[in-house]
Amino acid sequence: MSDQEKALINPKPGVCVPWELKLEELGDFPGNEEIVKKEWEKLDDFAYNFIWFWVQR
Amino acid sequence: MNDKETLYQQRLNRYITAMDCGKPDMVPVAFGIGEWVVKYKGTTFQEIFYDLDKSNSIVSEMLPGLDFDIFKGGPCLWWPPMFDAMGSKLYKFPGIGVDENSTFQYNEEEYMKPDDYDEFTASPTEWLVNHFLPNISTELANPGSYRSTIALIKGAAAFAMSGSITAAAYEKWTKEHGIVGQGTGFTKAPFDTLGDALRGMKGILLDLRRRPEKVLAACEAITPHNVNCGLAGAGADTRFPCFAPLHRGAYPFLNPRQWETFYWPSLKATIEGLWAKGKRMLFYAEGDWTPYLEKIAELPERSIIFQIDTTDARKAKEVLGGRFCLQGGVPTTLLTYGTPEKIREQVKRSIDELGRDGGFILDSGGVIMGDAKQENLITMIEAAREFGVY
Repeated sequence: MSDQEKALINPKPGVCVPWELKLEELGDFPGNEEIVKKEWEKLDDFAYNFIWFWVQR
Repeated sequence: MNDKETLYQQRLNRYITAMDCGKPDMVPVAFGIGEWVVKYKGTTFQEIFYDLDKSNSIVSEMLPGLDFDIFKGGPCLWWPPMFDAMGSKLYKFPGIGVDENSTFQYNEEEYMKPDDYDEFTASPTEWLVNHFLPNISTELANPGSYRSTIALIKGAAAFAMSGSITAAAYEKWTKEHGIVGQGTGFTKAPFDTLGDALRGMKGILLDLRRRPEKVLAACEAITPHNVNCGLAGAGADTRFPCFAPLHRGAYPFLNPRQWETFYWPSLKATIEGLWAKGKRMLFYAEGDWTPYLEKIAELPERSIIFQIDTTDARKAKEVLGGRFCLQGGVPTTLLTYGTPEKIREQVKRSIDELGRDGGFILDSGGVIMGDAKQENLITMIEAAREFGVY
Protein backbone atom coordinates (compact mmCIF):
# COMPACT_ATOMS: atom_id res chain seq x y z
CA MET A 1 0.00 0.00 0.00
CA SER A 2 1.33 3.46 -0.91
CA ASP A 3 1.85 6.24 1.67
CA GLN A 4 -1.06 8.07 0.07
CA GLU A 5 -3.34 5.07 0.58
CA LYS A 6 -2.14 4.68 4.21
CA ALA A 7 -3.24 8.24 4.90
CA LEU A 8 -6.81 7.50 3.82
CA ILE A 9 -9.42 7.12 6.53
CA ASN A 10 -11.88 5.12 4.38
CA PRO A 11 -15.02 6.35 6.12
CA LYS A 12 -17.87 3.86 6.43
CA PRO A 13 -21.05 4.20 4.36
CA GLY A 14 -23.04 7.23 5.51
CA VAL A 15 -19.92 8.89 6.99
CA CYS A 16 -17.50 11.53 5.68
CA VAL A 17 -15.58 12.54 8.79
CA PRO A 18 -16.11 10.02 11.61
CA TRP A 19 -17.23 11.50 14.92
CA GLU A 20 -14.46 9.59 16.69
CA LEU A 21 -11.87 11.47 14.64
CA LYS A 22 -13.52 14.81 15.41
CA LEU A 23 -13.75 13.95 19.10
CA GLU A 24 -10.02 13.31 19.26
CA GLU A 25 -9.40 16.73 17.75
CA LEU A 26 -11.78 18.42 20.19
CA GLY A 27 -9.91 17.03 23.21
CA ASP A 28 -11.64 17.65 26.57
CA PHE A 29 -15.40 17.63 26.25
CA PRO A 30 -17.13 19.40 29.11
CA GLY A 31 -20.70 19.09 27.80
CA ASN A 32 -23.02 16.33 26.64
CA GLU A 33 -21.17 14.52 23.88
CA GLU A 34 -24.26 12.74 22.57
CA ILE A 35 -26.05 15.99 21.68
CA VAL A 36 -23.13 17.17 19.59
CA LYS A 37 -22.46 13.74 18.08
CA LYS A 38 -26.07 13.29 16.95
CA GLU A 39 -26.15 16.56 15.00
CA TRP A 40 -22.61 16.06 13.65
CA GLU A 41 -23.63 12.71 12.22
CA LYS A 42 -26.82 14.09 10.66
CA LEU A 43 -24.89 16.71 8.72
CA ASP A 44 -22.17 14.22 7.91
CA ASP A 45 -24.80 11.92 6.42
CA PHE A 46 -26.17 14.82 4.35
CA ALA A 47 -22.68 15.51 2.97
CA TYR A 48 -22.21 11.81 2.23
CA ASN A 49 -25.47 11.70 0.26
CA PHE A 50 -24.47 14.82 -1.67
CA ILE A 51 -21.14 13.24 -2.65
CA TRP A 52 -22.63 9.90 -3.70
CA PHE A 53 -25.45 11.63 -5.57
CA TRP A 54 -22.97 12.57 -8.26
CA VAL A 55 -21.78 9.04 -8.90
CA GLN A 56 -25.12 7.23 -8.73
CA ARG A 57 -26.22 8.52 -12.13
CA MET B 1 -60.35 9.90 8.20
CA ASN B 2 -61.29 12.11 5.24
CA ASP B 3 -61.91 10.92 1.66
CA LYS B 4 -58.33 11.46 0.55
CA GLU B 5 -56.90 9.62 3.56
CA THR B 6 -59.24 6.70 2.84
CA LEU B 7 -58.16 6.72 -0.80
CA TYR B 8 -54.53 6.77 0.27
CA GLN B 9 -55.06 3.77 2.57
CA GLN B 10 -56.83 1.81 -0.18
CA ARG B 11 -54.03 2.47 -2.63
CA LEU B 12 -51.34 1.75 -0.05
CA ASN B 13 -52.96 -1.58 0.86
CA ARG B 14 -53.21 -2.46 -2.83
CA TYR B 15 -49.53 -1.67 -3.34
CA ILE B 16 -48.24 -3.46 -0.26
CA THR B 17 -50.38 -6.55 -0.92
CA ALA B 18 -49.05 -6.79 -4.48
CA MET B 19 -45.43 -6.27 -3.32
CA ASP B 20 -45.92 -9.20 -0.95
CA CYS B 21 -47.17 -11.30 -3.89
CA GLY B 22 -50.76 -11.22 -2.65
CA LYS B 23 -53.98 -10.49 -4.50
CA PRO B 24 -55.45 -7.08 -3.60
CA ASP B 25 -58.96 -5.87 -4.54
CA MET B 26 -57.61 -4.83 -7.93
CA VAL B 27 -54.34 -4.70 -9.85
CA PRO B 28 -52.44 -1.63 -8.65
CA VAL B 29 -51.43 0.82 -11.35
CA ALA B 30 -48.12 2.73 -11.36
CA PHE B 31 -47.89 5.94 -13.32
CA GLY B 32 -45.57 8.88 -13.83
CA ILE B 33 -46.29 12.32 -15.23
CA GLY B 34 -43.09 12.36 -17.23
CA GLU B 35 -41.59 14.30 -20.08
CA TRP B 36 -44.55 13.33 -22.30
CA VAL B 37 -46.63 16.00 -20.55
CA VAL B 38 -44.49 18.89 -21.83
CA LYS B 39 -45.93 19.05 -25.35
CA TYR B 40 -49.50 19.19 -23.97
CA LYS B 41 -48.84 22.14 -21.66
CA GLY B 42 -47.58 24.87 -23.98
CA THR B 43 -44.19 24.98 -22.27
CA THR B 44 -40.66 23.83 -23.02
CA PHE B 45 -38.41 21.08 -21.65
CA GLN B 46 -36.10 23.81 -20.45
CA GLU B 47 -38.78 25.52 -18.39
CA ILE B 48 -39.96 22.23 -16.89
CA PHE B 49 -36.43 21.17 -15.96
CA TYR B 50 -35.35 24.49 -14.53
CA ASP B 51 -38.50 25.69 -12.78
CA LEU B 52 -39.43 23.11 -10.14
CA ASP B 53 -42.50 25.10 -9.05
CA LYS B 54 -43.81 25.11 -12.61
CA SER B 55 -43.09 21.41 -13.00
CA ASN B 56 -44.84 20.58 -9.72
CA SER B 57 -47.82 22.79 -10.56
CA ILE B 58 -48.33 20.81 -13.79
CA VAL B 59 -48.38 17.60 -11.76
CA SER B 60 -50.91 19.14 -9.34
CA GLU B 61 -53.06 20.17 -12.29
CA MET B 62 -52.98 16.68 -13.86
CA LEU B 63 -53.52 14.48 -10.79
CA PRO B 64 -57.27 15.04 -10.21
CA GLY B 65 -58.11 13.58 -13.65
CA LEU B 66 -55.99 10.43 -13.29
CA ASP B 67 -56.99 7.33 -11.34
CA PHE B 68 -53.88 5.33 -10.50
CA ASP B 69 -52.32 4.05 -7.28
CA ILE B 70 -48.56 4.45 -7.29
CA PHE B 71 -46.90 7.69 -8.33
CA LYS B 72 -43.56 7.38 -10.09
CA GLY B 73 -42.74 11.08 -10.20
CA GLY B 74 -42.94 14.28 -12.19
CA PRO B 75 -41.38 15.33 -15.47
CA CYS B 76 -37.88 16.43 -14.46
CA LEU B 77 -35.47 13.75 -13.40
CA TRP B 78 -32.71 16.21 -12.49
CA TRP B 79 -32.66 19.85 -11.43
CA PRO B 80 -30.09 21.50 -13.77
CA PRO B 81 -29.36 24.57 -11.59
CA MET B 82 -27.54 22.29 -9.17
CA PHE B 83 -25.40 20.94 -12.02
CA ASP B 84 -24.80 24.47 -13.33
CA ALA B 85 -23.65 25.61 -9.89
CA MET B 86 -20.96 22.93 -9.90
CA GLY B 87 -20.06 23.37 -13.58
CA SER B 88 -20.98 19.73 -14.04
CA LYS B 89 -19.79 18.00 -17.20
CA LEU B 90 -22.11 15.05 -16.73
CA TYR B 91 -25.12 16.24 -18.71
CA LYS B 92 -26.31 18.53 -21.45
CA PHE B 93 -29.64 19.92 -20.34
CA PRO B 94 -32.48 21.43 -22.39
CA GLY B 95 -31.66 24.99 -23.36
CA ILE B 96 -28.04 24.73 -22.19
CA GLY B 97 -26.14 22.29 -24.35
CA VAL B 98 -29.10 20.93 -26.30
CA ASP B 99 -32.24 22.50 -27.76
CA GLU B 100 -34.79 23.88 -25.28
CA ASN B 101 -37.21 21.16 -26.42
CA SER B 102 -34.80 18.23 -26.24
CA THR B 103 -34.43 15.97 -23.27
CA PHE B 104 -31.08 15.78 -21.45
CA GLN B 105 -28.01 13.95 -22.77
CA TYR B 106 -25.38 12.19 -20.68
CA ASN B 107 -21.75 12.97 -21.54
CA GLU B 108 -20.05 9.66 -20.97
CA GLU B 109 -16.30 9.90 -20.29
CA GLU B 110 -13.67 8.02 -18.30
CA TYR B 111 -14.00 10.29 -15.27
CA MET B 112 -11.96 7.70 -13.38
CA LYS B 113 -8.75 6.47 -15.06
CA PRO B 114 -7.36 2.92 -14.89
CA ASP B 115 -4.60 4.09 -12.51
CA ASP B 116 -7.22 5.35 -10.05
CA TYR B 117 -8.61 1.91 -9.21
CA ASP B 118 -6.45 1.21 -6.16
CA GLU B 119 -7.02 4.54 -4.45
CA PHE B 120 -10.74 4.42 -5.20
CA THR B 121 -11.06 0.90 -3.83
CA ALA B 122 -9.05 1.79 -0.71
CA SER B 123 -11.43 4.62 0.21
CA PRO B 124 -14.29 5.28 -2.21
CA THR B 125 -15.84 8.33 -0.53
CA GLU B 126 -12.49 10.12 -0.20
CA TRP B 127 -11.60 9.39 -3.81
CA LEU B 128 -14.92 10.80 -4.96
CA VAL B 129 -14.30 14.03 -3.05
CA ASN B 130 -10.62 14.40 -3.91
CA HIS B 131 -10.75 13.36 -7.57
CA PHE B 132 -14.16 12.59 -9.01
CA LEU B 133 -15.93 15.84 -8.08
CA PRO B 134 -13.08 18.00 -9.47
CA ASN B 135 -12.97 15.77 -12.59
CA ILE B 136 -16.65 16.21 -13.37
CA SER B 137 -17.04 19.86 -12.28
CA THR B 138 -15.40 22.79 -14.06
CA GLU B 139 -16.07 25.02 -11.04
CA LEU B 140 -14.00 22.67 -8.83
CA ALA B 141 -11.00 22.62 -11.15
CA ASN B 142 -8.91 24.45 -8.52
CA PRO B 143 -9.87 22.96 -5.14
CA GLY B 144 -9.64 25.54 -2.36
CA SER B 145 -10.07 28.48 -4.73
CA TYR B 146 -12.82 31.07 -4.36
CA ARG B 147 -14.82 29.65 -7.29
CA SER B 148 -14.48 26.11 -5.99
CA THR B 149 -15.63 26.94 -2.46
CA ILE B 150 -18.59 28.96 -3.74
CA ALA B 151 -19.57 26.12 -6.09
CA LEU B 152 -19.60 23.61 -3.23
CA ILE B 153 -21.72 25.93 -1.08
CA LYS B 154 -24.17 26.45 -3.93
CA GLY B 155 -24.22 22.80 -4.96
CA ALA B 156 -24.95 21.54 -1.44
CA ALA B 157 -27.57 24.25 -0.94
CA ALA B 158 -29.23 23.25 -4.23
CA PHE B 159 -29.20 19.59 -3.15
CA ALA B 160 -31.01 20.49 0.08
CA MET B 161 -33.40 22.89 -1.68
CA SER B 162 -34.46 20.44 -4.38
CA GLY B 163 -34.93 17.68 -1.79
CA SER B 164 -37.06 19.91 0.37
CA ILE B 165 -39.19 21.20 -2.55
CA THR B 166 -39.79 17.66 -3.78
CA ALA B 167 -40.67 16.37 -0.30
CA ALA B 168 -43.17 19.22 0.17
CA ALA B 169 -44.72 18.49 -3.22
CA TYR B 170 -45.16 14.80 -2.39
CA GLU B 171 -46.73 15.69 0.95
CA LYS B 172 -49.21 17.98 -0.81
CA TRP B 173 -50.08 15.36 -3.47
CA THR B 174 -50.56 12.71 -0.81
CA LYS B 175 -52.88 14.94 1.24
CA GLU B 176 -54.83 16.43 -1.66
CA HIS B 177 -54.97 13.50 -4.07
CA GLY B 178 -54.31 10.39 -1.96
CA ILE B 179 -51.38 9.27 -4.07
CA VAL B 180 -48.75 6.80 -2.85
CA GLY B 181 -45.12 7.36 -3.89
CA GLN B 182 -43.43 4.38 -5.52
CA GLY B 183 -40.31 4.34 -3.41
CA THR B 184 -37.72 5.86 -1.13
CA GLY B 185 -33.98 5.65 -1.66
CA PHE B 186 -31.95 5.31 -4.83
CA THR B 187 -29.22 2.87 -5.60
CA LYS B 188 -27.59 0.92 -8.41
CA ALA B 189 -25.77 -2.29 -9.15
CA PRO B 190 -22.14 -1.73 -8.06
CA PHE B 191 -20.99 -2.66 -11.57
CA ASP B 192 -23.24 0.11 -12.95
CA THR B 193 -21.91 2.65 -10.45
CA LEU B 194 -18.47 1.79 -11.78
CA GLY B 195 -19.43 1.39 -15.43
CA ASP B 196 -21.88 4.27 -15.87
CA ALA B 197 -20.36 7.24 -14.09
CA LEU B 198 -16.76 6.33 -13.31
CA ARG B 199 -15.20 4.26 -16.10
CA GLY B 200 -17.82 4.59 -18.86
CA MET B 201 -18.83 1.85 -21.26
CA LYS B 202 -15.55 1.68 -23.19
CA GLY B 203 -13.46 1.82 -20.03
CA ILE B 204 -15.34 -0.87 -18.13
CA LEU B 205 -15.41 -3.25 -21.10
CA LEU B 206 -11.64 -2.92 -21.54
CA ASP B 207 -11.18 -3.41 -17.81
CA LEU B 208 -12.93 -6.77 -17.96
CA ARG B 209 -10.04 -7.96 -20.14
CA ARG B 210 -7.12 -5.96 -18.80
CA ARG B 211 -7.70 -5.65 -15.07
CA PRO B 212 -10.58 -7.97 -14.07
CA GLU B 213 -9.38 -8.31 -10.46
CA LYS B 214 -9.52 -4.53 -10.01
CA VAL B 215 -13.10 -4.43 -11.33
CA LEU B 216 -14.12 -7.09 -8.81
CA ALA B 217 -12.34 -5.33 -5.94
CA ALA B 218 -13.97 -2.01 -6.83
CA CYS B 219 -17.44 -3.59 -7.02
CA GLU B 220 -16.86 -5.15 -3.61
CA ALA B 221 -15.82 -1.77 -2.18
CA ILE B 222 -18.90 -0.07 -3.67
CA THR B 223 -21.40 -2.66 -2.39
CA PRO B 224 -21.81 -1.43 1.24
CA HIS B 225 -22.18 2.14 -0.05
CA ASN B 226 -24.91 1.06 -2.45
CA VAL B 227 -26.72 -0.69 0.38
CA ASN B 228 -26.53 2.55 2.34
CA CYS B 229 -27.75 4.65 -0.62
CA GLY B 230 -30.75 2.35 -1.07
CA LEU B 231 -31.64 2.57 2.60
CA ALA B 232 -31.72 6.37 2.36
CA GLY B 233 -30.29 6.75 5.86
CA ALA B 234 -30.47 4.80 9.09
CA GLY B 235 -33.98 4.37 10.45
CA ALA B 236 -35.58 5.53 7.20
CA ASP B 237 -38.70 4.03 5.63
CA THR B 238 -38.71 0.33 4.77
CA ARG B 239 -42.31 0.02 3.58
CA PHE B 240 -41.43 1.19 0.09
CA PRO B 241 -38.72 -0.13 -2.22
CA CYS B 242 -35.63 1.78 -3.26
CA PHE B 243 -35.34 2.51 -6.94
CA ALA B 244 -32.45 0.84 -8.77
CA PRO B 245 -32.16 1.53 -12.51
CA LEU B 246 -30.10 -1.37 -13.85
CA HIS B 247 -28.11 -0.84 -17.02
CA ARG B 248 -25.12 -2.96 -18.07
CA GLY B 249 -26.69 -6.13 -16.72
CA ALA B 250 -29.18 -6.23 -19.60
CA TYR B 251 -28.46 -8.87 -22.22
CA PRO B 252 -26.27 -8.70 -24.30
CA PHE B 253 -24.05 -5.90 -22.91
CA LEU B 254 -22.15 -8.67 -21.13
CA ASN B 255 -21.97 -12.32 -22.08
CA PRO B 256 -23.44 -14.76 -19.51
CA ARG B 257 -20.02 -15.68 -18.07
CA GLN B 258 -19.09 -12.03 -17.60
CA TRP B 259 -22.52 -11.33 -16.11
CA GLU B 260 -22.15 -14.11 -13.56
CA THR B 261 -18.59 -13.10 -12.70
CA PHE B 262 -18.68 -9.31 -12.71
CA TYR B 263 -22.26 -8.05 -12.56
CA TRP B 264 -24.30 -10.40 -10.48
CA PRO B 265 -22.32 -11.13 -7.26
CA SER B 266 -22.15 -7.52 -6.06
CA LEU B 267 -25.72 -6.73 -7.16
CA LYS B 268 -26.93 -9.83 -5.30
CA ALA B 269 -24.93 -8.77 -2.23
CA THR B 270 -26.47 -5.30 -2.43
CA ILE B 271 -30.00 -6.74 -2.58
CA GLU B 272 -29.28 -9.15 0.27
CA GLY B 273 -27.77 -6.31 2.33
CA LEU B 274 -30.86 -4.20 1.79
CA TRP B 275 -33.21 -7.09 2.53
CA ALA B 276 -31.38 -7.83 5.78
CA LYS B 277 -32.48 -4.34 6.83
CA GLY B 278 -36.05 -4.96 5.61
CA LYS B 279 -35.66 -2.87 2.45
CA ARG B 280 -36.88 -4.09 -0.91
CA MET B 281 -35.46 -3.05 -4.28
CA LEU B 282 -37.42 -2.01 -7.35
CA PHE B 283 -35.23 -4.06 -9.68
CA TYR B 284 -35.67 -1.77 -12.67
CA ALA B 285 -34.43 -4.20 -15.28
CA GLU B 286 -34.11 -1.92 -18.28
CA GLY B 287 -33.79 -3.90 -21.52
CA ASP B 288 -33.83 -7.70 -21.74
CA TRP B 289 -32.93 -9.85 -18.72
CA THR B 290 -34.48 -13.11 -19.94
CA PRO B 291 -31.23 -15.16 -19.86
CA TYR B 292 -30.70 -14.30 -16.19
CA LEU B 293 -34.14 -15.01 -14.73
CA GLU B 294 -33.09 -18.30 -13.09
CA LYS B 295 -30.22 -16.56 -11.25
CA ILE B 296 -32.50 -13.72 -10.16
CA ALA B 297 -34.94 -16.32 -8.79
CA GLU B 298 -32.25 -17.29 -6.25
CA LEU B 299 -32.71 -13.98 -4.40
CA PRO B 300 -34.56 -14.00 -1.08
CA GLU B 301 -38.28 -14.27 -1.71
CA ARG B 302 -40.03 -10.88 -2.05
CA SER B 303 -36.75 -8.95 -1.79
CA ILE B 304 -37.34 -7.26 -5.15
CA ILE B 305 -40.07 -6.00 -7.43
CA PHE B 306 -39.00 -7.13 -10.89
CA GLN B 307 -39.64 -4.56 -13.62
CA ILE B 308 -40.40 -6.11 -17.01
CA ASP B 309 -39.13 -3.93 -19.83
CA THR B 310 -38.18 -6.06 -22.86
CA THR B 311 -37.64 -9.23 -20.80
CA ASP B 312 -39.87 -12.08 -21.99
CA ALA B 313 -42.93 -11.45 -19.81
CA ARG B 314 -44.27 -15.01 -19.90
CA LYS B 315 -40.90 -16.41 -18.93
CA ALA B 316 -40.61 -13.84 -16.13
CA LYS B 317 -44.00 -14.92 -14.81
CA GLU B 318 -43.03 -18.59 -15.05
CA VAL B 319 -39.66 -18.20 -13.30
CA LEU B 320 -40.23 -15.32 -10.89
CA GLY B 321 -44.00 -15.27 -10.37
CA GLY B 322 -45.12 -16.09 -6.85
CA ARG B 323 -41.64 -15.37 -5.45
CA PHE B 324 -41.45 -11.70 -6.48
CA CYS B 325 -43.93 -9.03 -7.46
CA LEU B 326 -43.77 -8.23 -11.18
CA GLN B 327 -44.25 -4.72 -12.55
CA GLY B 328 -44.80 -3.61 -16.15
CA GLY B 329 -46.94 -5.04 -18.92
CA VAL B 330 -47.20 -2.17 -21.41
CA PRO B 331 -44.20 -1.75 -23.73
CA THR B 332 -42.92 1.80 -23.81
CA THR B 333 -42.78 1.79 -27.61
CA LEU B 334 -46.49 0.96 -27.75
CA LEU B 335 -47.26 4.10 -25.76
CA THR B 336 -45.53 6.13 -28.48
CA TYR B 337 -46.41 4.27 -31.67
CA GLY B 338 -49.58 2.38 -30.69
CA THR B 339 -53.24 3.36 -30.61
CA PRO B 340 -55.72 3.39 -27.71
CA GLU B 341 -57.25 0.15 -29.07
CA LYS B 342 -53.87 -1.59 -29.08
CA ILE B 343 -53.12 -0.32 -25.57
CA ARG B 344 -56.44 -1.65 -24.31
CA GLU B 345 -55.74 -5.08 -25.78
CA GLN B 346 -52.23 -5.08 -24.29
CA VAL B 347 -53.44 -4.11 -20.81
CA LYS B 348 -56.06 -6.88 -20.85
CA ARG B 349 -53.50 -9.43 -22.07
CA SER B 350 -50.92 -8.42 -19.45
CA ILE B 351 -53.40 -8.53 -16.61
CA ASP B 352 -54.64 -11.96 -17.76
CA GLU B 353 -51.13 -13.36 -18.15
CA LEU B 354 -49.14 -11.63 -15.42
CA GLY B 355 -51.71 -10.56 -12.86
CA ARG B 356 -54.08 -13.49 -12.56
CA ASP B 357 -52.65 -14.70 -9.24
CA GLY B 358 -51.80 -11.29 -7.75
CA GLY B 359 -48.27 -10.07 -7.18
CA PHE B 360 -48.49 -7.75 -10.17
CA ILE B 361 -48.39 -3.97 -10.70
CA LEU B 362 -49.44 -2.64 -14.08
CA ASP B 363 -46.98 -0.09 -15.46
CA SER B 364 -45.18 0.95 -18.60
CA GLY B 365 -42.25 -1.35 -19.33
CA GLY B 366 -39.63 1.36 -19.01
CA VAL B 367 -39.34 5.11 -18.71
CA ILE B 368 -42.11 6.81 -20.72
CA MET B 369 -40.42 9.06 -23.23
CA GLY B 370 -41.34 12.58 -24.31
CA ASP B 371 -42.96 11.38 -27.54
CA ALA B 372 -45.55 9.12 -25.85
CA LYS B 373 -49.15 9.99 -26.68
CA GLN B 374 -51.37 11.24 -23.89
CA GLU B 375 -54.41 9.35 -25.24
CA ASN B 376 -52.46 6.09 -24.98
CA LEU B 377 -51.39 6.84 -21.42
CA ILE B 378 -54.90 7.69 -20.31
CA THR B 379 -56.20 4.53 -21.99
CA MET B 380 -53.55 2.50 -20.14
CA ILE B 381 -54.80 3.52 -16.71
CA GLU B 382 -58.50 3.39 -17.66
CA ALA B 383 -58.14 -0.10 -19.13
CA ALA B 384 -56.25 -1.22 -16.03
CA ARG B 385 -59.23 -0.22 -13.90
CA GLU B 386 -61.65 -1.92 -16.31
CA PHE B 387 -59.81 -5.25 -16.51
CA GLY B 388 -57.90 -5.20 -13.23
CA VAL B 389 -60.62 -6.00 -10.68
CA TYR B 390 -60.07 -9.36 -8.99
